[in-house]
Amino acid sequence: MISDTLAQSPRFKTFALVFAIAFPLWYIASDMARLPMFTYHPGPDLFEWGWVKARRDEGPAMYWYGWLATSALGSTALGGLACLLPQKWTQRIPLALAWLVPLLLTPLLVYSLKFYWRW
Amino acid sequence: MEYLPEWITVEAFWTTLLIVHGLLAVALLGALTHQAVVLLLPLRAGARPSSFVARYRAVSSVPYANAVCLLWVLTFVLGAWIYAKYRIQVRIPIEQQGYYKTLGVFELKEHLVSFGIGLLPIYWYLWANAANQAYQSARKWLTVLLTAICWYAFLTGHVVNNVRGYGS
Repeated sequence: MISDTLAQSPRFKTFALVFAIAFPLWYIASDMARLPMFTYHPGPDLFEWGWVKARRDEGPAMYWYGWLATSALGSTALGGLACLLPQKWTQRIPLALAWLVPLLLTPLLVYSLKFYWRW
Repeated sequence: MEYLPEWITVEAFWTTLLIVHGLLAVALLGALTHQAVVLLLPLRAGARPSSFVARYRAVSSVPYANAVCLLWVLTFVLGAWIYAKYRIQVRIPIEQQGYYKTLGVFELKEHLVSFGIGLLPIYWYLWANAANQAYQSARKWLTVLLTAICWYAFLTGHVVNNVRGYGS
């Protein structure tokens, strides 16, 4: 089965670990630096590439889907690149980073929402 | 919503999606909480589980991992679908009422569950190799983190639904 093959694969471990570390970093970057892959306008049901302001009189703009796309693509690319590196290097990446990185970035997420904490 | 059949109203459709989203979240919460409890409060080797709590701590948590991944993805996809509707029908009225902290904690939920999606491949790998003692610490704390995110998301979603659910 494919799941058994993946579970035994050191390359999949490298990919999954780097993906887990990179995903929250890409996510925070695309949120705070306005780097969504696309913007969705739910009112007119319209997609536009990149970060675009809300359209006048057509409701809000949504960036969350675009942040996810940026994070997924960027993390997949980094995970794939890491698989090309020698295993003696990738084995040194601490597994703890998989949960430490998102945990340490959470206060930054809270800060990024400071607009909401003023009232 | 031209793809909806005639026998269901638009409001009923979105309410149904929200309820299914919530039910999937309950299942996910149960599976993850089982795993977290087993990892944080394991039963001593050889001890016989006699009470309800002891039996809860004694379950085999490995088989839950596939279900957790599937449930997280399904719950996430449904939530993402509902999110666009929420943005217009629910969030704008809450903004007009000035409940900004409520909106903030909900936005944090969206961020945290997104972090969770990124953690699923390594979570699955660590549980697929549950016999490997070298992975024990990472498996434990990753599972605890996902459980904490899931509880936060569940409670926050519940609160926001109470502030203004669909059809209100």
